[in-house]
Amino acid sequence: MNPPTSESAAHLITLLASIMLVLQLLLVVQRMLVANIRVFATQSLLLAAIAAVVGYAYHAPHVYVVAVLTLAGKVIFLPWWLERLVRQIKIEQEIDAFVNVPAAMLICGAQTVLAYIVARPITSLERLGNNTLAVAIALMLIGFFLMINRRKAITQVLALLTMENGVMLAAIALTTYGMPLVVEIGIFFDVVVAVMVLGILVFRIRETFASMDVSKLNELKW
Amino acid sequence: MENLPATLLNLSLTGYVLGAVAGVLFLRAEKLANIFTFGCASMASLCGVVSSVMVLVTGAAAANQSVQLLPSLIPYIHFTIRVDPLSAFFLLIVSLLGFALSTYSLGYAKGFFGRKNVGVLGAFFNALLLATVLTFVADNIWLFLIAWELMALTAYCLVTFDHEEAETRKAGVLYFIMAHIDAGCVILGFLLLFQASGDYSFASLHDIGAQMSSGKRDAAFLLFLIGFGIKAGIVPLHIWLPVAHPVAPSNVSALMSGVIIKTGIYGLIRVLFDFLGTPPLWWGVTMLTVGTISAVLGVLYALMEHDLKRLLAYHSIENIGIIVMGLGAALMFLHTGHTVLAALALIAGLYHTINHASFKGLLFLGAGAVLHATHTRNMEEMGGLIKRMPQTAFFFLIGAVAISALPPLNGFVSEWLTYQALLQGFGTTDSLMRLIFPLSGAMLALTGALAAACFVKAFGITFLAQPRSKQAEQAHEVSGSMRFGMGVLAAACVALGLFPTQFVQLLDPLTQQLTGQQISAQLSLANGLVLASLTEKSGTVSTLGISLMFVCLLPIPFALWLVFARKSKTRRGPTWDCGQRGLTPQMEYTATGFSKPIRMIFKALFRPRRDVQREYEFSPYFATTIRFESHVEEVFERRIYQPLQILILRVSRQIRALQAGSIHAYLLYIFVTLLSLLLLFAR
Repeated sequence: MNPPTSESAAHLITLLASIMLVLQLLLVVQRMLVANIRVFATQSLLLAAIAAVVGYAYHAPHVYVVAVLTLAGKVIFLPWWLERLVRQIKIEQEIDAFVNVPAAMLICGAQTVLAYIVARPITSLERLGNNTLAVAIALMLIGFFLMINRRKAITQVLALLTMENGVMLAAIALTTYGMPLVVEIGIFFDVVVAVMVLGILVFRIRETFASMDVSKLNELKW
Repeated sequence: MENLPATLLNLSLTGYVLGAVAGVLFLRAEKLANIFTFGCASMASLCGVVSSVMVLVTGAAAANQSVQLLPSLIPYIHFTIRVDPLSAFFLLIVSLLGFALSTYSLGYAKGFFGRKNVGVLGAFFNALLLATVLTFVADNIWLFLIAWELMALTAYCLVTFDHEEAETRKAGVLYFIMAHIDAGCVILGFLLLFQASGDYSFASLHDIGAQMSSGKRDAAFLLFLIGFGIKAGIVPLHIWLPVAHPVAPSNVSALMSGVIIKTGIYGLIRVLFDFLGTPPLWWGVTMLTVGTISAVLGVLYALMEHDLKRLLAYHSIENIGIIVMGLGAALMFLHTGHTVLAALALIAGLYHTINHASFKGLLFLGAGAVLHATHTRNMEEMGGLIKRMPQTAFFFLIGAVAISALPPLNGFVSEWLTYQALLQGFGTTDSLMRLIFPLSGAMLALTGALAAACFVKAFGITFLAQPRSKQAEQAHEVSGSMRFGMGVLAAACVALGLFPTQFVQLLDPLTQQLTGQQISAQLSLANGLVLASLTEKSGTVSTLGISLMFVCLLPIPFALWLVFARKSKTRRGPTWDCGQRGLTPQMEYTATGFSKPIRMIFKALFRPRRDVQREYEFSPYFATTIRFESHVEEVFERRIYQPLQILILRVSRQIRALQAGSIHAYLLYIFVTLLSLLLLFAR
């Protein structure tokens, strides 16, 4: 069974993926916490849209499940939960970073280039759209960089979630319209649980150190 | 009917699962937990005994097929089991011992009522038996490794059952570390095999050694020797054994000494004889040497012990050494192409394996009964128990005679077979083999003599003379189920001793599978009444005949008494006490005193240190108090493990500098690694 590759679907997917990358860069620059969460929600919405397009254009019904899960979890539930957390612990909105914005942008640019280099030998395996895999790898690398760059635990949670978006995108782009459903659902629940745990951790860090700065965790070292 | 063994095996596995579940369900109801967990375990192991015997007797081909136990949930990981003759033999060992131990535990676990949670004990006990059975019947690398790890973990939980004691926790940690070094080596070894075969099933690994380069084959051999050797407890990898076995509850000690260390032997046989193909000479030489050293050192250290269970643990090292000697000799014969002799040596090793399981299990159960009654493991505080617990003493005596390799019991048969294998090796041409076989034979003789001395001490100090402490004085016979458990194993010892030719027939499918020879017909003479070593000329022995002789000779003293002494006067008086006022326990021979000559002879090894302080008032001949301390050096701990430990700690301290305690730094490490790997390899 080899469904016809719809030209327009491929274009649409490339477009959506590139917007995801742009949003990722926006996350690096954006300094307000709630805005960050909403950018992430939008990015996840685009991922859900890509999944839906794949499901529709290639008659792969199980990818719809991924789309619905993404929509429910990462567009609605997690952003809502994170915003509630932000409101509950009343943290200031400003995000501290280690690297200033221009330097961060340069680093992200370099990472995107690296992602393209890395993805080049395997683009022949790519089935959907152009450069989707490169974008996915770029999302992961930038997400990783975000995790290192941010001081506060809650922003690291966000960074982890964007990395996971990258993983999902790669899965949809590279394999036969997504990994086995079991694996995808597994990853999804992993992430939800991780975020829950991290959320609790944020509370604890704040209680213990009266701050959310994870750099202070090294006081725990003996 | 065709599938009866397989059905019984499934029943047995289900029984263990049920027992484990029952233990968890009845966490709060100790009496129910006791009955259900150990009841399930004994039923399950009884099924296992019947199943394995049927496979061995009929060679049931139906069981010798891969069966999927559970649907595989994850790609590549299949839960397939297969009972080939080798698996069936080890299944017999674990089930036989499992049956005796479970019934014993029904009484033994009552000692924990109100003190410890019996449900936990029963659940882990069942889980350990299940994991061990799975290890023996696993038909692919994955299931084997899963079962192997499960076994290590449940055994850890059982060893640390008395976790309130600091000594127990320390022993548990040592066992945990050693078990994981061993698992690591085994995994690496299997990875090497997998590299050559590309498939996980054991069937595909058969003779895989032929397709491997000799370097990789040797590496695999060494990895497996270390990995399985740690589990088996061969010197110098034995250090966990005398530490971990004594602190566990006695039924668990018996299981660990009887079966768990045999999983190492099973692994060695499976890998060396089934997977790695025709061995180079040095494999066999290594095994034989290591086995000989283990046997001699094990018994020497056992002699120095006055903790009853530690003494037994050191004897496990000795017996594992004897088994490994048999395996090593078999490997050497395979190298030279003497398959018949290889089969003989293999039979000797296998026979000793089941013998050791039965008599060591019996001895640990006896020690457990003594512990149950006196609440001490120190032999110096026992004594006189033969009057207070006569049946336990009798069973312990049977175990002691068996382990000392005295005819007509089973230890004698297998050691005799080992001697025969070693001595016949002298006839082979290779000069190295001509040298090494008689040497190890001589060492085996030394081992046997020392073992006998050791059990004269163990039995004499524990059971004979007068009680040395209040606890020993108040000891009482243990409950019926405990005696039944010991009785089963004692019966096994006697049966294996009296009917060797019949038992050797059961081993035919094994030697056929591993060496391509069936030699039971050559081993039996005169309708199976006499055991011969291949030819009549090289040696024959009949344990049945020996015991018949004992039975015939027994009435003679009575007859003489009847004839000559019946009329003479009988006088009863106290034992002569050298003019002192009555015999007291203080005058008795101590365990330390008994082993002193041997401590002196092997001074170079033991490096004994003693410290005597005496205080006196008038003259040095009338001391008021004497303080005596005596230590022997534990060579391997001091010379190998302590330096290693210091080295590891030092390196760890250096590495610790990397751990700044900052999440950002950790993330950065990962990130930099990822980026550099991408840059390096992703072109």
